[in-house]
Amino acid sequence: MKKNKTELFETIYHKHRPMILQMCLGFVKGDKHIANDLLQEVFISVWKNLERFRGASTYKTWIYRITVNTCLTHIKKEQKVKTYAISEIEQQSSEDASEKTTNPNIQRLYKAIGQLKKIDRLIIMMVLENQDYDSISEIMGISPINVRVKIHRIKKRLETILKSNNDDE
Amino acid sequence: MMMNSEFNKLQSGWESNKKEINLSNDGLDVMYLKIREKEKENYFFYYGTIAILLTTLIVISLFFYYLAPVKETLSRIGVALMISGLIFRIIIEMISIYKAKQINNIDNILKTTENSFNFHAFRKKIHQIIAPTIIVLYTIGFYIITPEFSLYIKFWNLVLMDVSYVVIAIILFLIIRKGVHKEMQKLADILELKKDIIE
Repeated sequence: MKKNKTELFETIYHKHRPMILQMCLGFVKGDKHIANDLLQEVFISVWKNLERFRGASTYKTWIYRITVNTCLTHIKKEQKVKTYAISEIEQQSSEDASEKTTNPNIQRLYKAIGQLKKIDRLIIMMVLENQDYDSISEIMGISPINVRVKIHRIKKRLETILKSNNDDE
Repeated sequence: MMMNSEFNKLQSGWESNKKEINLSNDGLDVMYLKIREKEKENYFFYYGTIAILLTTLIVISLFFYYLAPVKETLSRIGVALMISGLIFRIIIEMISIYKAKQINNIDNILKTTENSFNFHAFRKKIHQIIAPTIIVLYTIGFYIITPEFSLYIKFWNLVLMDVSYVVIAIILFLIIRKGVHKEMQKLADILELKKDIIE
């Protein structure tokens, strides 16, 4: 069972890590350190709850629920001096270096998304991820009609923000 | 309204950036390390307070049973108040753990928000009503033992004991007040979030 759990966890990790990290980055306006903390929180939850997955939805929808909940409940932790193992620091540095390749357009998008309300950021990122209204409605716990109205409103707001940010630059 | 083609452009930029992220280091070993750390932390978070309260309960019970078995009825009432206050506090902590476990990240967002609200409303009630009541009962118990203790303890030691208790009570009051403010802020944030979800 433990071996199966580990295999399944690693499959989920490799398959969904980019999507989760991208959502976390969008949620925290591109801050890589906080996004990495959030990513870890998400996967800790995935590991903890993997045996409770009943297949009522797809793994992707299930992981979205965890990601959105984790982002919303994330409390900014106090800056603590922590001691890391050397290997951990090396690994983190290599991650940071490889993730600095993000292009300016995506940074602008992160910035614009970051100006939306917290819940709206997560909804629009699910739309960017091509999630349909029914899945978003299931993740959110609200009706598909409500989701449709919200998305319409959020797109409008995002457009205004992008325009205003472009004018400022 | 944002044109579909414009939004499609955003979507394709989003997708291509995800491919870049995909090339970065995976860090599974770090993830397993974090999982183990978190499991330990959670264990302490859930059972640490109960362990401390249980130890206090055992120490106080042993103290009154072996070292200072009070004889007068008033003193015995005092001991009963102190011990029952602690037992009540342990029960409340267990209920709190149960409510905390109801908040699950695998539920939909609205349900998680509602469960979080229930948990923090309960915590606020603990800080605002239950904890002060327990402390008042404990304090009454503590002071009504004093007359019998005065028969066996030197006067100045007794004064030191009673005064130090006042200092502890002030510290507890400040901690509780901070706890209430913290929970009220959390409740306000959750209410705002819930409004954003359903409106």
